[in-house]
Amino acid sequence: MKKIIAAAFFVLLPLAAHAEYEQVNLTVFGMDCAPCAHAIHVSMKGIEGVNTVDVDLNTGLVIIKLAPGNSASMRQFNQAVEKNGFTHKDAEVIVKGNLTGTANAPVLEVSGTSDRYALSATAANLDIVSLLGKTVTVVGVIPQAPKGKQSDTLLYKTITEVR
Amino acid sequence: MKSFIVLACAFALPCIALAADHGPVFSYATPVNSERELSFDSGIFGRSGSLGTQLSTGSSFGYGLTPQITVNAFLPATFGGGSLPESRMVSGGEWSTGVSWRFLHSVTSVGKRVESTASLGIVVPGPQQDSGVLAGLHRAPGVAGSLASGLASRSQYFWVGGGYTRFREASNDHRPDTLSWSGVYGYRPAKLRRGYDKWDYRGFAELTGEHTGNVLKSGATRPGSSTTSVWLGPSVLAIFKDVAISGGVQAPVFRDASDSIYGREHLRFAINFSYLKYSSHTSSH
Repeated sequence: MKKIIAAAFFVLLPLAAHAEYEQVNLTVFGMDCAPCAHAIHVSMKGIEGVNTVDVDLNTGLVIIKLAPGNSASMRQFNQAVEKNGFTHKDAEVIVKGNLTGTANAPVLEVSGTSDRYALSATAANLDIVSLLGKTVTVVGVIPQAPKGKQSDTLLYKTITEVR
Repeated sequence: MKSFIVLACAFALPCIALAADHGPVFSYATPVNSERELSFDSGIFGRSGSLGTQLSTGSSFGYGLTPQITVNAFLPATFGGGSLPESRMVSGGEWSTGVSWRFLHSVTSVGKRVESTASLGIVVPGPQQDSGVLAGLHRAPGVAGSLASGLASRSQYFWVGGGYTRFREASNDHRPDTLSWSGVYGYRPAKLRRGYDKWDYRGFAELTGEHTGNVLKSGATRPGSSTTSVWLGPSVLAIFKDVAISGGVQAPVFRDASDSIYGREHLRFAINFSYLKYSSHTSSH
């Protein structure tokens, strides 16, 4: 029995490793000057798995690109903003995850993190029934959450199977 | 040479309640450190008058306990023997430590914040004696409090603030309690609203004022030792990532002080250097 569990673990491990954030475009309010942006840059770079961080002070956009195999979570990105005294707004994400739930209530699980989102389509004609149970790449928006909280909804624009 | 070494080794920051790295050099402002951010400020502050010139130098350390609460300490030193009024807008010889709490923090849009910060600190006499009318006074610790409110944005800054310092009496001597206030307007031209990997410049117009009470010596009030003055002048702040340099000058626009006791103070200037060590620490998910 132990061997079966171990074998199943190693078979499923590669699938689980695919679930991760690839890019997070986070809008941050309150940054007025260069040290503000530098503080955000330092904090984001301190998150394991973050490859590059670009901060645009005039738009408040923080673009975070992550390395394959990372296990960074949305909570860490939000926390990096809050600890510097700023406010995080909506986040556009490209994220891989396991699609679970039902056709009416699909759920994206970003394994390796505790992030789990109820998916909601921004367009009516997106059919995801055939993707249930598969690893998918989702492009969408995570709405702003109150300070210290994390949104549990992801408004997706596109969803495609990872092959 | 000795003076040069002194100036090179130790610079001053006005006092714990005043802004440094993110703000104006003379006035009260609202910025506090990020959580776990360590800041170090050092600079030189000068006061020149008809009865002498005084230079103050020292170092200030700040640490962000939370995104809204910063603790700080200020270790000054003074040079020169000018007979000048008590001042809390400029550093004297007192060591101080305190805490700043940004109790209002409203983020209204990209790059814009409205906020208020209160500071409370303890002021203790340093090893150096004062000069002029304050020389020879028995000195005792005091309490300093301040409040600042204002707006920060990509283009404009505006802060108003006030502070009060009260010293205890010691052996029938009493340093003047001081009421101070400031208003500052800052502007960053459109051409300088650039990326954070370039030098960030902004200019300020700083208006500061102080009222100092009478000096009490051996239980007797020194007649005419109370002062009121208002100062105005420009300053510039330049920041690149984690270092900042600011400087400014001020001239009096109003002065009510005894010429025989204090002479005529006609110039204040400041140069401040800041280093900001941001924390990369984030909790694991």
